[in-house]
Amino acid sequence: MNTNRMWMLAAVMVAALVLAACPAPAAQAPAAMEEEAPAEAPMDTGPCAPAADGPLAGIDPRGQTIVWWHQHSGSREEKLAVIVEDFNTNNECGIVLDAQNQGGYNDIRDKVNASTASGEQPASLIVGYQNDQAFYQLNEVLADFDKFIDDPTWGLSAEERDDFFASFIEQGVHPVFDSQRLGFPPNRSMEVLYYNQTWLEELGFDGPPSTPAEFEEMACAAAEANGDGTGGYILRDDASATASWTFALGGDVLNEDNTGYVYNGQATIDAMTMLKRMLDNGCAYFFTEGYPNPEFAARRASFTQGSSSGLPFYANDMVTIAEEQGRDMDVWGVTAIPHTTENPVQNIYGADVMITAGPPEQELAAWLFIKWFTSPEVQARWVEASNYFPTRAGTEAHLTGYVEENPQYGEALALLGYGAYEPQLISYQAVRDAAETAFNEIMQGADIQATLDALTETANELQEELMGEVQ
Amino acid sequence: MASGAVGAGAFRARLADPAARRAAINQGVIYVVLIVGAAASILPFLYTVSVSLMNLTEATGGRALPATPQWSNYVEAWQDAQFSLYFMNSVKITLISVGGALVFCALAAYAFAQMEFPGKTFLFTLLLSTLMLPEAITWVPNFITVSWLGRISPVPWLNNWPSLTIPFMASAFGIFLLRQFFQQIPRELWDSAQIDGSGHLRYLVRVVLPLSSAAVMTLVLFGFVGAWNALAWPILVTTTPDWRPISYGLLSFLDEAGALLHLQMAGAIITMLPIVVLYFFTQRHFIEGIATTGLKG
Amino acid sequence: MLLAYSFLAPAFIIIGLFGLFPLAFAAYESTLRGLNKIVGSYDGLGNYVKAVDNLIYIVTFWIAVGLIYFAVSTIARAVQEHRQEQTNAMRWALPATLTAAGTALFARFIFVLLPEMLLIPSKLRGQNNTQEAFRSLVVETWWLPKVQVALWIAVVLLAGGVVWGLFVNRTVARDSREPIYFVPFFSAGISLVSAAALIWLTWTEINAAYAGALEEGVGLELWSQIVTISAGFLLLLLAWRLWESAGLRSSNTGMAMRLVGAVALMAGAWVLIAELPRVVSAGDEDWWNGLMATVFYVLGTVPIQLGLALILAALLFQKIRGQTLFRVLYFLPYVAPFVGTAAVFRIIFSNRPTAPLNSLLDLFGAEPLLWLSEPAGIIQMITGGRIDLGPILSGPSLALVAIMIYGIWTYVGFDTVIFLAGLGAIPNELYEVADIDGAGGWAQFRHVTLPLLSPTIYFLSLYAVIGTFKAFNHIFVLRQAAALGTTDTASIVIFQAFKRDTRYGYASALAILLLLIIMVITLVNNRIASRRVFYG
Repeated sequence: MNTNRMWMLAAVMVAALVLAACPAPAAQAPAAMEEEAPAEAPMDTGPCAPAADGPLAGIDPRGQTIVWWHQHSGSREEKLAVIVEDFNTNNECGIVLDAQNQGGYNDIRDKVNASTASGEQPASLIVGYQNDQAFYQLNEVLADFDKFIDDPTWGLSAEERDDFFASFIEQGVHPVFDSQRLGFPPNRSMEVLYYNQTWLEELGFDGPPSTPAEFEEMACAAAEANGDGTGGYILRDDASATASWTFALGGDVLNEDNTGYVYNGQATIDAMTMLKRMLDNGCAYFFTEGYPNPEFAARRASFTQGSSSGLPFYANDMVTIAEEQGRDMDVWGVTAIPHTTENPVQNIYGADVMITAGPPEQELAAWLFIKWFTSPEVQARWVEASNYFPTRAGTEAHLTGYVEENPQYGEALALLGYGAYEPQLISYQAVRDAAETAFNEIMQGADIQATLDALTETANELQEELMGEVQ
Repeated sequence: MASGAVGAGAFRARLADPAARRAAINQGVIYVVLIVGAAASILPFLYTVSVSLMNLTEATGGRALPATPQWSNYVEAWQDAQFSLYFMNSVKITLISVGGALVFCALAAYAFAQMEFPGKTFLFTLLLSTLMLPEAITWVPNFITVSWLGRISPVPWLNNWPSLTIPFMASAFGIFLLRQFFQQIPRELWDSAQIDGSGHLRYLVRVVLPLSSAAVMTLVLFGFVGAWNALAWPILVTTTPDWRPISYGLLSFLDEAGALLHLQMAGAIITMLPIVVLYFFTQRHFIEGIATTGLKG
Repeated sequence: MLLAYSFLAPAFIIIGLFGLFPLAFAAYESTLRGLNKIVGSYDGLGNYVKAVDNLIYIVTFWIAVGLIYFAVSTIARAVQEHRQEQTNAMRWALPATLTAAGTALFARFIFVLLPEMLLIPSKLRGQNNTQEAFRSLVVETWWLPKVQVALWIAVVLLAGGVVWGLFVNRTVARDSREPIYFVPFFSAGISLVSAAALIWLTWTEINAAYAGALEEGVGLELWSQIVTISAGFLLLLLAWRLWESAGLRSSNTGMAMRLVGAVALMAGAWVLIAELPRVVSAGDEDWWNGLMATVFYVLGTVPIQLGLALILAALLFQKIRGQTLFRVLYFLPYVAPFVGTAAVFRIIFSNRPTAPLNSLLDLFGAEPLLWLSEPAGIIQMITGGRIDLGPILSGPSLALVAIMIYGIWTYVGFDTVIFLAGLGAIPNELYEVADIDGAGGWAQFRHVTLPLLSPTIYFLSLYAVIGTFKAFNHIFVLRQAAALGTTDTASIVIFQAFKRDTRYGYASALAILLLLIIMVITLVNNRIASRRVFYG
């Protein structure tokens, strides 16, 4: 009798597992059939009707639901939701966009790669950097934007297209993949120098530095004023910072035909020499416990360097700490990385959106959202919500009030024309780590020339090794 | 176990007796060791609590204690992180996976500990070898499995409870742990249970599990902690908030809080509080084993 | 017997899907190359060669030798019994071999089916990715001729072997109670087949390597390397055997054997230390450094963590005031989310002169340290850094030590709780008996607690070794670029290869190598433990 009960329990458990794995009844199929309306009447002329000719002829984007995987969280996510809601209620094609946060950039990348490996359809719209695009396209995951941009019915007019900063929109073009345009820029950020204007004035300077020499002098003066190892510039070991300094001193980290890395040019050597000298003289220091903005706000650093997307966090911390310390808030701002070139050369970066290959109706609907989202009025709303930079010139006209209220943003916006870009080679993610290590080696006393030579060699080896695995 | 707790009065009276004095010194040493150990494990933690009550200036100034505790940090963290939304998800995920793990691990561990069958060593080695693969490697194949099982089963797996719970319903850790404890149960008990006409399943439920309650509770506890703090896998298999756990709430909140250390700490403490409370009220059961059942011998 | 299997079934279905499948997947992937490609192009042992250079040939060779040794000794034992006890072991040989062959072919079937199945996602891309399309592709793949052929050959052999075995079993059951020899012959068969497969793979790969070297006009010191390194390992093995058997002999012979063993140990170690790094440095430097950091991490955390936990658990188990409170306190670090505690440890171990630990040093008049940003080895630092000790002797970097402390801090609570459970399983009566015998606290601990706790100690030491070898989270959240990679353990290297670079094949090969290392250590651990663990 007991054996019986035992067997029953075992059987039930096995059955439960089998049940969980057994084929689904084809219940969904009839429902799907019904939705497929019979072929439309030949002359469909309503709003958003399929194009009659052109490469996208007959593709009907109406009523599609599009999922967007993004990394915006917190208040940016909330404000994005408002904009998306506006699209969902007002777009005449009846497209519904579902914007979903998926963690950070790395999480999205993992998710897209896992989906590709398993045959799941990733979201129609995904956010990611340019070297991610290359990784995705190894599996032909992405759709080419050109077929939408150039389409007479759904695409951009010549004026609209020229309105985009050429350098931003060209970043998504990949020569390795038949020059397909795999990404489209909804917004950008840039590497800037944050400075404390009030403090600089107290020290007897008029305003932010524009050359490295001025910068060093000011940082040293502030460090001397604090006298405890803080006060100067917080060193940033990120590869984007190394690239920014190299650009600002008139160099580049890519070779001339954009196929390999050059980290041992004179500009990089000069930058490293200066930063190392500043560290040795106490004019610069490392802060390893988190983001540098509270240090900056608490007047322990006169300068910090980082992405302009940190602007709202800096603004917030400046207000909070001034309040908590019961003093007037320091006037602060952002400026170009101190440069030896005539005009500043700014490192501009930012993730693109991509459309994943799928049913043509979905792809088209995804593009229509992007087109709407990057139109000047909407982009201005998004830019105000997120503090990112616009990617087309026409947006600025809608931003005047905002720039007046946010002077720091205006300062940075003025630098948008001086763009330079970091490498988009497939190995760049790995090379960034190597560059970060090299920066630290130098700051710990390694020979600058030798370390940068070694870094250049390592970086090019990495590129060669990874390309060697591309079939 | 030899020396019980001594009251203060008895303590003084027994100081005269050399044996009692030695016992008292022993007690003293034990307390010193325990307190030093507790300090080491709790100080970093107290610092977390302290920072969580600071304002921004204090949190970045390297201070030890806040001037006035900012309880509002907790309110802010609770609201910003939308913990209330994810809290119930975590409870559900945890209950399902721990419940399943208990049943499946106990059955398998019993088979390994108390039954004989061909291939026992081989299967056990196989079981252990699944522990030896670094997690980073397992995510892609497991995502494939979950995705495909979802395609052929009536219930979708991705974005749903199966992908979050079923993979954790049987773990080599749990089976191995329980086997170690089941193996210590004397064979004579099984012999007498057989005389009473009891089968394996009944023996497992009526005798083996109660005798190993400490181990079982430990398994439950670690199942809880594991499910509660899991992050990488839940992010991979969910795309909407419907089944996302509390650790996701904490992560997205940390993204938002950025450099705001005090809010980060408040968020971290809110996340861990349920488990601490749970452990506090149940810890007694983790160490009550054979001693209280009186079955052994 | 069937009941045992049905008890195991649910757990093994789940573990099969989520534990064994990733293993098979990693084994398969490790033979492929390609960026972000699940089904890349076949590359044999290429990924392994990239990681550890020629050492992989030596490893596969010795695994094959081990398998053959195992098979031969198993058969020899059966034959011996067969002679001594007049049992009829030999009649099991054929059915068992047949079943083994069937099982091996079944494994081959899995590896024929797996790539075809993994290609389905790439076929789904571009076309309508529907349930129906997926299902028809699965069905199509299943009915591929080569899949079916592989399946049926395996099934026929398996069924034949099993039926024959059952038949033999029935004849046995009738006439005597002699033992069933199915399992030994079966495992011997499997071992031989695997050994043959490994040797064939290694042989073709070595030939290919020689052909490649010939083309490029460079010499290969492969054979000399194989010979020297094998000799080194053999000497180590010999030392161990001698040492082991010395314990059983009389004191004089024992001493002599120990002496010879020690010489063999030193000679073997010397050969290995002289030769191994030379071979391995030709492989992936990051991987080699990662392994070294891993070994430091394991050696630096496991003993301390377990020792502390054992002491704390033993103390906490006494009837003391505030028991509940202490138990909760010790458990807190394990429960706290990484993100919170890691941030705190970043502050505690900060390089800032005013950071908590540096303030403490200042109190003692010592110079502030860089902690998490310090790449120098601790032994190097203690000796003042005047002599360059080389990467191994200078020890783990201070940064890694700080991370170890964080790891210990977290896991002591975990270990303590399990030890407490183990203590709870010791019957009170035993202590009462010990009390009556007049055994003191230490004697009780030594003679009652430790032996009865040995299953728990065994469990925890095994689990801790496996866990620390693939430790990831703790290291990942605290690693800083300033430590110059000295904190990157094997699991970090694997993570970067898999996630950052999407080199699935290479990362899988590294994971398999790590798995082999853990497995060897587990086997050694088991051998030692099997004599010491005592189940009530």
